[in-house]
Amino acid sequence: MSHLILMLHPMLGMLAILAAGWLFVETRHVDAQNGQRIISLSNVTAILVWISYIVAGYWYVVFYAPEKAVILKGPWPFAHNYFMETKEHVFFVLLLLATYLPIAARDDLTGKSPARSLTGWVACLVALLGIMMEGYGAFISMGVKLGALPH
Amino acid sequence: MNGKNLSATTVGFGLSVVITSVLSTILMIIKETHEETVMAWMRKATPHHWITHGVIVVALFVVLGLLLSKTGGGKGVEMKSSLLAGLLAAAAALSFVAISGFYLLE
Repeated sequence: MSHLILMLHPMLGMLAILAAGWLFVETRHVDAQNGQRIISLSNVTAILVWISYIVAGYWYVVFYAPEKAVILKGPWPFAHNYFMETKEHVFFVLLLLATYLPIAARDDLTGKSPARSLTGWVACLVALLGIMMEGYGAFISMGVKLGALPH
Repeated sequence: MNGKNLSATTVGFGLSVVITSVLSTILMIIKETHEETVMAWMRKATPHHWITHGVIVVALFVVLGLLLSKTGGGKGVEMKSSLLAGLLAAAAALSFVAISGFYLLE
């Protein structure tokens, strides 16, 4: 069960990246048709990042310790010492940006308004940080795998 | 509205993201370099220091966002969107470089 909880984290993260990417594209041209869609996408992105954060946080606090021990005894201790430590703290920046997204998206986005460009930038940052989180997570998973293999 | 059409809420909470991201990075460095005091307190405050860190970050974001949105007699802070977007990108990059650098050098 704990591993199913863990797998929710990258799945929700990937959906959040897709939603943020979609949102970025929508902000390139805002009209009466997609205004509400932009707000909905910003809400979805924020909710996905928050659920991903809560799910991962629960798993990290409750289940991570034995896997951390496996990583540290294996050939890739940096999977925890660098990748996990960096990921868990940079995640706060992603959380803040994702939370800010619906706030920026509720400003006036019509025409060539400054808020339209700002919302696009924030969506882009959310997607980029999300991709970084996925990559760092892959290193952590590999650290556990290598630590669990006979060596 | 203020600046070039950005609302007071958009600027206020945007600046809050910038400031909170930087302060969160500073808190990370302080807690990791003060195990006996700051880290010990953060571990006692909640079941895990990371939970305490998250609570501080979210609370700071909300409080700073509300304050900055209401400053200037309710008009908020005046700022161009390009400057705010640049500050947001810079804060994200700075946080990543500082956190990465800290754990690479540790």
